[in-house]
Amino acid sequence: MSAPVGALQAALTAEHAAVYGYGVAGAMLAGGEQAEARADWTAHMVARDALESMLTKLGATPVAASPAYALPFAITDSKSAARLAATLEEGVTRAYLGLVAVSNPTLRAFAAKAMQASANRVLAWSGSTQAFPGMPSAS
Amino acid sequence: MLAASPTTLPLFLALSACKGPAVLSAPPTVSPQTQTLLHAVTAEQNLIWIYNTAIATYSGLAPALAPLRAEHEAHLAQLRARVIEPPGKHVPEAVTARPALGASKAAALTQLHAAEQAAVATLMGRLNGASPSLAQLYASIAASEATHVSVLGARIGAR
Repeated sequence: MSAPVGALQAALTAEHAAVYGYGVAGAMLAGGEQAEARADWTAHMVARDALESMLTKLGATPVAASPAYALPFAITDSKSAARLAATLEEGVTRAYLGLVAVSNPTLRAFAAKAMQASANRVLAWSGSTQAFPGMPSAS
Repeated sequence: MLAASPTTLPLFLALSACKGPAVLSAPPTVSPQTQTLLHAVTAEQNLIWIYNTAIATYSGLAPALAPLRAEHEAHLAQLRARVIEPPGKHVPEAVTARPALGASKAAALTQLHAAEQAAVATLMGRLNGASPSLAQLYASIAASEATHVSVLGARIGAR
């Protein structure tokens, strides 16, 4: 079984990156898309806080956010901003898949629900569904 | 592990000769985890059957439903591939539930929407007690099917 602390820290790291990335993406969006990005940004902050609380209860020190993150590609317009949002969500989904592997049933269910939320945000930003969200693409 | 040797092998054969047939006649045991996996295979087959019926009945829905059905077929293939215990276990292929299809396109979409919601809930219930890798597969399939719920819901809302 995976250690809960390591998997929780990985999920928290992904949430930190998402919070940062939505700040970048949101600046390139307007109207309904910007409102959607703001709602997703808020959801990631809520998830970040929940993960920090879980780690603290386990006696661990939650990993801190980096001051800045390297973006996977240049964000120059609304299209690339939407692609960034989808990419961030895919990273979050992968991180929560790792948390599903822990034996604690509460953490498993939490992670699985988080995967559903992020997979739906991928759908919202990319317009497409995936057969195996979070899994390596070869599967 | 014991290695076969000229001295141990005859003894092993002698012991086997006494109890071999009785041991071989014991039915293969299926662990609760495998039983759950087999149920997941059947559930996926049943869901695909509804998609097949909906597409065959309402061809206008095919462009929207075929991609979702293809993902279910991928789910089924992955689930079937995980059935490795006991060796030689027959993996179910039969559809066990054939509900009457909705009498209109809208009703069929609503039916699929409900079926996908139920599938997500059922998969969530399969997480507890599953091995880490099986839990990850169930969670990933549940996430995929949660997006199907959204796609179908949007389609229903747009009608």
